[in-house]
Amino acid sequence: MLRSALLSVLLALAAYAGSVWLTHDFQVWTAEGARRLEVALQPIAAPALQIDGPGLSAQPLSQFLADGKSVTVVDFVYTRCQTVCLALGSVYQQMQATLQAAASPPGAPAQRVKLLSISFDGQHDNPQVLQAYASRLSADPQLWQFVRLPDAKDTQRLLDDFQVVVVPNGFGDFEHNAALLVVDQRGRLVRIFDYAEQQLALDYARHLASGVSP
Amino acid sequence: MNWLPPSWRKWRLPAAGILLCLLALPAARNWLEASMTRHMLVQFPLLALAGFGLAASLGQRWVERINRWNGHGVTGLLAAALLLALLMIPRLLDLALVDGWLELAKFLALLVCGAAVQLSWQAAGLLVQGFFLGNVLPMTVVVGYLFESSPVRLCNAYLLGDQERLGQGLVWIAAAVGLAWFAHLVLVLMRRDTAAAV
Repeated sequence: MLRSALLSVLLALAAYAGSVWLTHDFQVWTAEGARRLEVALQPIAAPALQIDGPGLSAQPLSQFLADGKSVTVVDFVYTRCQTVCLALGSVYQQMQATLQAAASPPGAPAQRVKLLSISFDGQHDNPQVLQAYASRLSADPQLWQFVRLPDAKDTQRLLDDFQVVVVPNGFGDFEHNAALLVVDQRGRLVRIFDYAEQQLALDYARHLASGVSP
Repeated sequence: MNWLPPSWRKWRLPAAGILLCLLALPAARNWLEASMTRHMLVQFPLLALAGFGLAASLGQRWVERINRWNGHGVTGLLAAALLLALLMIPRLLDLALVDGWLELAKFLALLVCGAAVQLSWQAAGLLVQGFFLGNVLPMTVVVGYLFESSPVRLCNAYLLGDQERLGQGLVWIAAAVGLAWFAHLVLVLMRRDTAAAV
């Protein structure tokens, strides 16, 4: 009986250790929560994968993001989307409007925050399609740009690096853990915010852009 | 598995082994894990069943050795309850899809769950059985209700409709197991009363 009690105590301790590991000390219960926490603790460098888009020459994503001046709020889209992406489009339109309003005095820090939508449907979303999509959303190319990765393997690599999971929903659309990804001046993904936290994401990006590096 | 006819008992080990091998096939894993409902309501129980079958075919000497550490089946049922609690954390479902080691750990955990229940259930008696189910079933209902009512996806790899279906399934299964055990309890108590009266 003593042996059983001893083993039971050991099992309980092992299960406790396992759950501490699995939930980051009981802070997160989902993979998405863990992803956001891990990014905040340990930024992820954007990979050097080729991108192109309307008004942009082909260049590595890391170089595009790490221009040393601007903080970028990134999201993932596909132009054939009829559901969530439309909502995200309007979130981005609102953020663009906020940035435009804040940028009126010349040299204001808001100019150093940019918006970037990356398509994960690179086969369909060529620069012409993205251009049409951008005009439909009345995107201001000074603030909000659209890119794709011409190589499907590169797209998958980027999704893996940033832990974006794309699932076909069976109705021709894709479900994905859509969020606002804040990338700093050095091209590192430093924080992930929910759609609903657009103001917080923007404030955080502006704070980073104002020169106080974390 | 004493309810099996003796001539069938020799098939327990090969049957459990074949079931485990089938479940470990990449095609079976991909198909079962493509849906959250199949992942948790089909793959999980089948793995536990394989563990149950493997434990049932253990030799007498092994069972005696294990029993020394498993007084009244308490250790085994505690292990099963703890493992089930860990397996219900949504992050685990996502991680098992992308991390091979965690997938392996999940397989082992479920085999151990089934084996622990097999080795402990009879020895536990109604009181310990009731305590075990009194913990595991409400936990399952809470997790199921959470899955069913959550407006957001808890797993990045699965769709919301799938999650709702899984949640409903978990609640129904917990209710069914609870009822079945209660019916068994009533039956046993009635038999005891009859025996006492005689």
